[in-house]
Amino acid sequence: MIEFKNVSVTYPGGVKALNNISLDIKEGDFVIIVGMSGAGKSTLLRTVNNLVKPSEGEVIVNSKNVTKASKKELKAIRSDIGMIFQTFNLVNRSSVLKNVLTGRLSQVSTLRSIFGLWPKEDKEIAFESLNKVEILEKAYVRGSNLSGGQQQRVGIARALAQKPKVMLADEPVASLDPITSRVVMQYLKQINQELGITTIVNLHFLDLAKEFGERLIGLKDGELVYDGKVDDVSDQDFENIYGRAIKSSDLLGDED
Amino acid sequence: MKIKVPKKPLPSLLSLVGYPVAILFSVFSFFQIGFNLEDFKRNLANRSIVTDPLFNPKWEWAIENASQALLETIQIAILASILGCFIALPLSFYASRATNQTTITYYIYKSFLNFIRTIPDLFWAMLFTVAVGIGPFAGVLALIMFSMAIMGKLLSETIDSIDLGPLEAAKASGAKHNQAVFSSALPQILPNFTAYFLYIFELCIRASVILGLVGAGGVGRIIETQRIFLRFDRITPIIVLILIAVIAIEQFSVWLRRKIL
Amino acid sequence: MNIPKQPFNQKILRYTITFLIVIGSIWSASGLEITTERFLTAPSKLWILISAMFPLDLSEEAFSRIVPKVGESLFIAWAGTVIGAIFSFPVSFLAANNVALNMVSRVTKQILNIIRAFPELILAFVFLPITGLGPLTGTLAVGIHSIGTLGKLSSEVIEGIDEGPLESIKSSGGSKINELLFGVVPQVMPTITSYWLYRFEINLRASAVLGVVGAGGVGAELINQLRFRDFPRAGTVLVVTILMVLIVDTISAAIRKRIIKGREVKV
Repeated sequence: MIEFKNVSVTYPGGVKALNNISLDIKEGDFVIIVGMSGAGKSTLLRTVNNLVKPSEGEVIVNSKNVTKASKKELKAIRSDIGMIFQTFNLVNRSSVLKNVLTGRLSQVSTLRSIFGLWPKEDKEIAFESLNKVEILEKAYVRGSNLSGGQQQRVGIARALAQKPKVMLADEPVASLDPITSRVVMQYLKQINQELGITTIVNLHFLDLAKEFGERLIGLKDGELVYDGKVDDVSDQDFENIYGRAIKSSDLLGDED
Repeated sequence: MKIKVPKKPLPSLLSLVGYPVAILFSVFSFFQIGFNLEDFKRNLANRSIVTDPLFNPKWEWAIENASQALLETIQIAILASILGCFIALPLSFYASRATNQTTITYYIYKSFLNFIRTIPDLFWAMLFTVAVGIGPFAGVLALIMFSMAIMGKLLSETIDSIDLGPLEAAKASGAKHNQAVFSSALPQILPNFTAYFLYIFELCIRASVILGLVGAGGVGRIIETQRIFLRFDRITPIIVLILIAVIAIEQFSVWLRRKIL
Repeated sequence: MNIPKQPFNQKILRYTITFLIVIGSIWSASGLEITTERFLTAPSKLWILISAMFPLDLSEEAFSRIVPKVGESLFIAWAGTVIGAIFSFPVSFLAANNVALNMVSRVTKQILNIIRAFPELILAFVFLPITGLGPLTGTLAVGIHSIGTLGKLSSEVIEGIDEGPLESIKSSGGSKINELLFGVVPQVMPTITSYWLYRFEINLRASAVLGVVGAGGVGAELINQLRFRDFPRAGTVLVVTILMVLIVDTISAAIRKRIIKGREVKV
């Protein structure tokens, strides 16, 4: 489903964020990527929808070459890839519904969207997505009036509204408390299992990774240092990925 | 699966009433202004009055006669903005809830500042030319009111939102109210005061140009006299000179702002 | 005990500024031949003028002359603000360096700066021979100056947005236009609309004044009455103007507050 072929990313200024990553992710996989800050997790995720362009190598998603795609092709590819962010990225002043509808933008004509004349089917898709994360009743509430966990659920709904084949989650729970984090992770897992959406999640909380992960990928200094089942991972493996002993800040814990 | 979709909330009163009123009022206003095509065409034919002199600007005349007035304009602005802003400084503290707990005086000062704001600067100039005579002094007085009004509003709002912590701490250690304000509140707002001062100074320069039109000194006086005789060949270079001066001062104040803040 | 010395630069800066301010004031004052004595006598002279205005001229004739002019100022201010708002909105996007290309934004900003440098009265001046005496000139002057100021302010709001939502729209396959309409506009509209209303408040004062050059509005009335020494009538003009400004200010401030705060939807 997703193939990384010798992907390297060097940012202007000389920082090498990714070094020759080759990886195969099968359809329906639930993959968790761990590593220290700056290890390249965000960069790797963004090469999948070409928000970051690889300096070398290419990324193939669903048999389409993302890296070499034209502008038009890229838009089509991206509409099949949903993404959620650490900072939720909701438009604060807009309602929850309007935020979720932005997920349908690639499918709706510009003119219609300007005047708010969303086709019925798109509105229904939006409502269903909200229902899936159990936040339908807040459809007309303003984004900024929701708690962090609720906002992230709206983010998930927005991605779901795209009817995506792939779901990318960039540190989705980093700003949430332990209980809410588990709720969000649970939704992601559920969506992956029920809808078969290939999911990649960046995390830096190790206990969370162990709780929810199936396949674990470890990045260190832009290089792939671990790829295997989560059950097979030992504390020693984690220390290799992080290059040091595990600290309490690497664990989410159970309560505040 | 039938899901329970929440009801869409009704449009707010503001949008329901506001938008139609705004649009209607706009249309009405444009009608009131009265755009008359005939008059417009006739006047357009007269445009040579403005455009011909553009090709014949009298630079020497302008520089010779307007430079002194331009200097006067700038001096008016400097004096008025300095005096106005510094007078407004203590007034603002009295006009802010945070530093003035006495309700009566608070309302007095606040209303005073609000009142000054309602009168346009040119009206002040007109009043002062009658009260103290024509000339730059009237202009300075008018702009002092102008500066006080703006600084008063901006500064009192800033004071309203300062951190009260240091103030409380000072009082707790026995300082009198005024001492506490001076040592704990004043330093907090100084950066804002400086920024506002530079902004008001720029505004004063522009306003000062205008004041001359009613005889309050500065280059406006010259423009007005020339306008009556339709000497646009002289007015244009004067305006260009003003433009250069205004932009130069603006760049200077931007530079100064960057240095200080 | 090693007491640190106050950094030399700080001291120099403070002394220079104080020096500049003091010298600036003295130089200006002497250039204008203004003495402290004149300052001290000024308030009493103003008071004499003000008291000459009372009792106000509340005759029917006075009102029939003044009220239409005051209304005219209102219309000029409103129409001018509308012109300013409509044209400044697209221009502000061109001037924002996070939306438009760097070169385009710099050029647009410079153009806006030049427009802004002209006070409304000077603009009215320029238009007078073309559009004649009357409110149309005033409206054009106010409108064009507003495009300048609103354009700059709006572009600064646009430059200060959170780019996160834009990234999310882009990542889901949205176009640049989608990003602008659904990411930028919802974020900036409340602040920009409140700037429009604030501009209206300021334009009202400007338009009141434009009458001085015959560009419509109540300014002509005031200056005429003052010249003819008809102080009670001048006083009426002042009072009516002040009232109108106060009313508009209050309503506008309330609306602006509500716009910024937004609506609560109870669920």
